[in-house]
Amino acid sequence: MGKGLMKFKGIKPVLCLMAGLTFIQTIAIILQAKWLAEAVSALFAGAKLQEQAGTVGLFLFAFTVRQLCALVEQKLAFRFAERTGSALREQVLSKLFELGPRFAGREGTGNLVTLILEGVAKFRKYLELFLPRMLGTGLTPVLILAYVFTLDVTSGIILIVTMPILIIFMILIGLAARKQMDRQWESYRMLSNHFVDSLRGLETLKFLGRSKTHIESIDGVSNSYRSATMRTLRVAFLSSFALDFFTMLSVASVAVSLGLRLIDGRMTLLTGLTVLILAPEYFLPVRMVGADYHATLDGKEAGEAMESIIREAEQEFAKAAEVPADADFSWNRESKLALHSVGMKYEEAGRASLEDVSLTFSGVRKIGIIGESGAGKSTLIDVLGGFLRPTSGTFELNGCTLGDLSASGWRDLITYIPQKPYIFSSSLADNIRFNRPEASMEDVAKAADAAGLGGLIAELPLGLEEPIGGGGRPLSGGQEQRVALARALLSERPVILLDEPTAHLDIETEYELKETMLPLFAHKLVILATHRLHWMQEMDQVIVMDQGRVVEYGTPEQLLKDQGAYYHLMVSQQEGIS
Amino acid sequence: MRESLSDRGWITPYFRLYSGRFALYLILGVLTLLTASMLMFTSGYLITKSSTMPYNILLVYVPIVGVRAFGIGRSVIHYVERLVGHDAVLRILSRMRVRLYRVLEPQALFIRSRYRTGDILGALADDIEQLQNVYIRTVFPSLVSIVLYAVVVVALGVFDVTFALLAALYILILVVVLPYISLKLTQRTNAEVKRDRNGLYQQLTDAVMGISDWVISGRHHDFLDEYEQAEAAVARKEYKLHVWSRWRGLISQLVVGLAAVAMIYWSSGQSSAGHIDPTLIAAFVLVVFPLADAFLPVSDAIERIPEYRESLERLTRMEGQGETSGDSNSAAGGASGTLVAGVPSAIADYAHLQLDQVKFAYGEDGAGAGANSVDGVSLDIPQGSRIAIIGRSGAGKSTLLKLIQGALAPTEGSVMINGRAAADYGDDIPKLISVLNQSPHLFDTTVANNILLGRPEASEEEILRAAEQARMGELIASLPEGLNTPMRETGQRFSGGERQRIALARVLLQNTPVLILDEPTVGLDPRTERALLSTIFQATAGKSLIWVTHHLVGAEQMDEIIFMEHGRIIMRGTHAELMEREPRYRNLYRLDRPEV
Repeated sequence: MGKGLMKFKGIKPVLCLMAGLTFIQTIAIILQAKWLAEAVSALFAGAKLQEQAGTVGLFLFAFTVRQLCALVEQKLAFRFAERTGSALREQVLSKLFELGPRFAGREGTGNLVTLILEGVAKFRKYLELFLPRMLGTGLTPVLILAYVFTLDVTSGIILIVTMPILIIFMILIGLAARKQMDRQWESYRMLSNHFVDSLRGLETLKFLGRSKTHIESIDGVSNSYRSATMRTLRVAFLSSFALDFFTMLSVASVAVSLGLRLIDGRMTLLTGLTVLILAPEYFLPVRMVGADYHATLDGKEAGEAMESIIREAEQEFAKAAEVPADADFSWNRESKLALHSVGMKYEEAGRASLEDVSLTFSGVRKIGIIGESGAGKSTLIDVLGGFLRPTSGTFELNGCTLGDLSASGWRDLITYIPQKPYIFSSSLADNIRFNRPEASMEDVAKAADAAGLGGLIAELPLGLEEPIGGGGRPLSGGQEQRVALARALLSERPVILLDEPTAHLDIETEYELKETMLPLFAHKLVILATHRLHWMQEMDQVIVMDQGRVVEYGTPEQLLKDQGAYYHLMVSQQEGIS
Repeated sequence: MRESLSDRGWITPYFRLYSGRFALYLILGVLTLLTASMLMFTSGYLITKSSTMPYNILLVYVPIVGVRAFGIGRSVIHYVERLVGHDAVLRILSRMRVRLYRVLEPQALFIRSRYRTGDILGALADDIEQLQNVYIRTVFPSLVSIVLYAVVVVALGVFDVTFALLAALYILILVVVLPYISLKLTQRTNAEVKRDRNGLYQQLTDAVMGISDWVISGRHHDFLDEYEQAEAAVARKEYKLHVWSRWRGLISQLVVGLAAVAMIYWSSGQSSAGHIDPTLIAAFVLVVFPLADAFLPVSDAIERIPEYRESLERLTRMEGQGETSGDSNSAAGGASGTLVAGVPSAIADYAHLQLDQVKFAYGEDGAGAGANSVDGVSLDIPQGSRIAIIGRSGAGKSTLLKLIQGALAPTEGSVMINGRAAADYGDDIPKLISVLNQSPHLFDTTVANNILLGRPEASEEEILRAAEQARMGELIASLPEGLNTPMRETGQRFSGGERQRIALARVLLQNTPVLILDEPTVGLDPRTERALLSTIFQATAGKSLIWVTHHLVGAEQMDEIIFMEHGRIIMRGTHAELMEREPRYRNLYRLDRPEV
């Protein structure tokens, strides 16, 4: 555990300092025990209180030194954990942007946000706890044990023997608990999910007329969940029971063996008391490790999860093609982008999502990509947007060869409108000028008007300043598309990529949105992927895809005449529903 | 039980309900700490007594046994104590879940529209989980330390009342003064940190959900700078909290150290005065440290109190809402108790729906208050008739469906099923009307169990027949365990079209005369959409269909197509009539079926 710790920046001086503090602390613990024992045994022997004031004072001094060491150590650990945690977060976040939307989609937004927010907190807790615990268990028991041996060998042996027994039992019980957990994991998961599953399905239950009778099921499952949890806890608590049991037993044995030797007169009360006071201190660091075990484990795992994101990003980054110095990142009527046998395979052995795609786009025009689900439309858009690095093939932009399109020069040329554009929790105006934060309010209003948001803005109490997105005013699907459209217009970028912009909308909204969009597409290179065929009639060129390959590319009129794949798609939608 | 449910609090009623278990837990908790203390006490006594070299070992026999018994006893009692505590809390959670479900059940159809943002149901379920910490982390440790406090002071009082009062003062610092100061000092910062962290959560969600926009805009460095600044602000506050908790730790420890010194002085004084045996000095001094362990965690326990506030407030608000909304908007709340006489339990396979000049406006609190969501709609749907409803979001379609289901009662006009007001049917509506919506919930159980929810008493043959009607044959054949394959959470194993087929089989098993289809094909590609619609139309022959749709594919199969806008019907007729009469309809229809 903790081998990877040494790579964190600035850990060595912190560890050295903390080790020094732990050392002083342990000496203080030993002295505190010694002076307390001295005072008590002298008082027992009938000494006057006043005579012992000095020793009691020394005890209090050692006690205070011990606590101060702990305080400084905590501060060091907290500071270090905070520094390291925020450095890790910064790294993960910037890598996240390098990995892009594909990665975010795969990992899930909720998981990523939780990992970054709570994972970093857990990781910090781990560092904060682990460093002092590691030093504490490494140094304190050894020093105390050495001191006890100088006083009384028998007690030292009892203490030294208990430690491995205790650790072995803890590990064995831990393993047994894990095994039991694994065995009933499936039913356990189902039971623990049942309640939230029921709440989410409440509407469906109501439709089915089962919502009232379902109460019994919730009660029943809750109770089985309780029994299952208790079964697990009965085993899981055993490991802290073992810790407790052996510690207490060991302290008791030390006490009894001391007592027996005191009766025989083979030992002084001072020695006996000192050893007795030190016995619990000997076990204290291990007990603290046991108490914090789960917190440290969680934090360690969170740290590893974030490390793996960083590693993945670095691997991805290593794959990135170099951008030639003479690359011409501009787009006008004469520009040309060619794809040369571009292929994309997500898994080595899996089916290719794109295979041998060679296309040429030039100038300003509207290009439609059509095909069934899984034909590779979205993958192609993602490759064109630079979100995805193809596994084979090259690009040629204005005569310059590129390995992929993730260069920032290309990204500055494009805007992207997905099926469900994300609306940021901010004002409507901020959402529109997202790509150009410096845009004037006038320009924002013009873009909003052109995207058909004029009516909505007139209705909003705060107009363009109305907060939308999470926590703000909810927008309909069509309005969200219009915001994205206004965003694209304001950015004045020459290339627009759209992925299925209207399929989920009701047909009237779709119709109106299309009427708004088409004139705005003039003078730009527009690439629109959809399975809604009606768009194709307005396109200058159509790409028909099937199973990752481009099967047809041409003007819609030409493709109809050819009576190929495009024609068959059109015809199949003419048939009625039987 | 009834009484406890009507109680408004989410914490206190359960004390009374589980007083026995709580008492047992308290006794065990106090015993755990007492045995640990007694271990050190008897050990101290044992070795001092031994050092007087008694002539017979039997003289220290009792303390020897005591030391061993306390050593073993402490771990055993602590183990049992934890189990008892967790068992009690899990029992409470079980009751809380049922209670929350009872609160939410009457509002089931309105939750989605009322809380549009975020996962309110997930949050509520988490809230209940959170409440277990109230007991385990706050209530239990505080109660145990208070009882122990009393025990210690009384025990010392037996020897010396003045010193008992002094000890009471020391412990008071640990159990009351420091926790109180702690709570007062940290409350505001804690609340601020929590609020700031919610802000961070929103900021991060914006970053991850809108990641493609950030990447393309090239502005992600702006985001990183801004975000790190926000994080640094929170970190400063957290550091402040940590500084206090460190100092609080030091102060409490110093109190313990001083208490030990006081104990040294008192016990030696007592012994030289002859009030106690000198052999007890070590015992009294050594017992201070394990006892202090009982009082040190109280500050932490109390400081947590603000953490629970949000969860408690959300649950209480939910409960309040359940009570008020029952009277105003939802009609089902009022009618559910009164089972209508004359509605037989097995309802006839016949339903005639009649809507006459129906108007409905949401109360003042709803959005668009005042305006009618449904404004003068009349429909006649005899058994077997099929209608399609189309309109933009906000046109009043959802409200119209709720009126038909009797979940809302019209403000004007009437909604009748077989001559009786729909709202009067209450919980019997699912026997007449079934619903297939955009995202039917598939429960985390097997496929067969999901279908069976349509009619739990159905036989295996009936399930198979329903599956067959939903044309699930191919799907079932591809599953490793056929119909007994588990769904996994929210049915992620299945595609959108497959999920709708499973839900369709469930609805078919429910076998009602009327089926509401609420945009069931949104998000499906055209081929899947057409295939699913074709299955639905075939499997529901003879049933009345009320189909809210976003596309016009299949519209030609309907007896009537209705266009809604601002709560009114603006176009209606059969496909052929509309094609002939309405150019607008022709334009729209062409989107779904572009001419070759």
